[in-house]
Amino acid sequence: MSALLEIDDLKVTFDTRHGPVTALDSVSLHVAAGETLGVVGESGCGKSITALSVVGLIPSPPGRIAGGSIRLAGEELVGAAPARLRALRGAEAAMIFQEPMTSLNPVFTVGAQIAEAIMLHQKVGRDEALREAVALLERVGIPSPGQRASDYPHQLSGGMRQRVMIAMAVSCRPKVLIADEPTTALDVTVQAQIFDLLNEIQRDFGAAIILITHDMGAIAEMADRVAVMYAGRVIEEGTADDVLDHPQHPYTSGLIACIPALGKDDAAGRLEEIPGVVPPLHLLGDSCAFAERCAHRFARCDREKPRLVAHRRHPAACHAVAEGRI
Amino acid sequence: MSALLDVRDLTVRFALPRPSLFAPRPHLEAVRGVSFRLGAGRALGLVGESGSGKTTTAMATIRLVPAAGGSVRFDGDDLLQLAPEAMRRRRRDLQLIFQDPYSSLNPRTRVEEIVREPMELMEMGTPQEQRERARELFTLVGLRPDQLALFPHQFSGGQRQRISIARALTTNPRLLVCDEPVSALDVAIQAQILNLLARLKDEFGLAYLFISHDLGVVRHVCDDVAVMYLGKIVEMAPRARLFDAPQHPYTQALLSAAPSLARRKSRGYVRPLKVSGDPPSPIAPPPGCAFAERCPRARAPCRSTEPPLDPLGDSRVACHFPGPA
Repeated sequence: MSALLEIDDLKVTFDTRHGPVTALDSVSLHVAAGETLGVVGESGCGKSITALSVVGLIPSPPGRIAGGSIRLAGEELVGAAPARLRALRGAEAAMIFQEPMTSLNPVFTVGAQIAEAIMLHQKVGRDEALREAVALLERVGIPSPGQRASDYPHQLSGGMRQRVMIAMAVSCRPKVLIADEPTTALDVTVQAQIFDLLNEIQRDFGAAIILITHDMGAIAEMADRVAVMYAGRVIEEGTADDVLDHPQHPYTSGLIACIPALGKDDAAGRLEEIPGVVPPLHLLGDSCAFAERCAHRFARCDREKPRLVAHRRHPAACHAVAEGRI
Repeated sequence: MSALLDVRDLTVRFALPRPSLFAPRPHLEAVRGVSFRLGAGRALGLVGESGSGKTTTAMATIRLVPAAGGSVRFDGDDLLQLAPEAMRRRRRDLQLIFQDPYSSLNPRTRVEEIVREPMELMEMGTPQEQRERARELFTLVGLRPDQLALFPHQFSGGQRQRISIARALTTNPRLLVCDEPVSALDVAIQAQILNLLARLKDEFGLAYLFISHDLGVVRHVCDDVAVMYLGKIVEMAPRARLFDAPQHPYTQALLSAAPSLARRKSRGYVRPLKVSGDPPSPIAPPPGCAFAERCPRARAPCRSTEPPLDPLGDSRVACHFPGPA
């Protein structure tokens, strides 16, 4: 399967009062049509920055892409003209954000907002775009879509708003759909509805989905492959089954072990914990960023950053794994 | 078992704006006749979707939101009937941890002051004893006593939640209301706080009224679980029974909607039970069962008669047609 979107050795830096800070450090990812890639990690690990760089929305300044490449269907996006990025954004690669209330315009009806996205990328008139918007609202499971199209965002529930966002994102049949924590603000029953909808849309349109989440459960349910990020780097990558069942990196196994299980009673025992916190990005030196928190730390971890290389089953960035200590 | 806390028919109403100048003021019933018991050293989980009334139930229980009816017996007293001064003295037994550790600590106060404040308000001990106690609690929750001179912004989210816990423990409470205590934290940090809460419960025999939307967390912490829907408890049972043999279709739907590592896309996992739509508006609750509109099992009686919370085995279930999924 050839990759539709290929991120290769991407480096993003931000100018801060501590000087330039590397937010993404040699990140490489790829996703094929019809495939869902899960990107998982704690806050600040760079998962959202990865998504924003694909759609060319890194706030600049202070941020900038300092190296690497992002290719969408063979076309290089790093260094592309702003006009070209604008044309691609929405049409070829679309994004669904976490908080639908703040990403919809409160003073326009949802129908008009979807129609605007359609008219921006396709040569259609306003009436036809509005008709298309109603059809999309119906497609994403909004009851009485004709009436709902003339509602304002505040008249809809959180789940409905996220459906509107999805309708807008798929309005131009994008090849890549990036969902950045699309259900974090929603209740579990509504989250389940949104996940089911994303899967249906993927089946219908064959889009590649990049799902950004902090929830390993969401990864299990949605992702074909998964990339685990820590402090701006991808530290493990593989099929979802492989990573969840045979995690290599101590951080990944820690993340999986510290989730309270829904299916069994573990209340008598303690949860596994990962001690400490993620180090601030401006204090990362030449050591492995996870070394401070790691039970398998040895001398080499303090000297040299581990690279993401293939081990027994799938790539992981860990010296202890590389040397067969774990 | 003699209960530490015995809540009966708790009702909370919020006033809504009048539709016109002379119209009677409409009310929204956020908590509609909730009853539960909680023993010393046990944890009761309140779960449900946003707007189901779980926070309001807990707040009304410790009288931070006025109740419109019902009784809250805590260690012999009805909290809802206590005179203000007696209630103020009672507050040392009832403490609270909030969801957001960023907005629940005063940013301009050193954390030593934050932790000592409850003791000052309750006039407990001399300043020297209070300082000692603050140091002791800081160690207990896994912080260093030399950090007491810092301000909240100098701590991470997990550390701030530890400060909130230290503050809550200063008065030796017997009941701790935990309102989504780990929702704002990353999973790795969440496990640290959950382990701390479990240890404190064992060491001090604390009772928890534990609110969370995360069912895995609730299963880990709580002995008993009450599921709320539109201001009512629809199912209440011991932990294992609720999670392994849920009887109410809403509980079953909640459990099947929760993501879990065992549910894999690669193995063709398809959700067995789907609920569509959103909960009804609490301003005009439907006449029968509040869940009927979204329920796969709903039949005629569900839309006309409200099911009472009846015993069924170890559980209590408010459903006309309870049973396994």
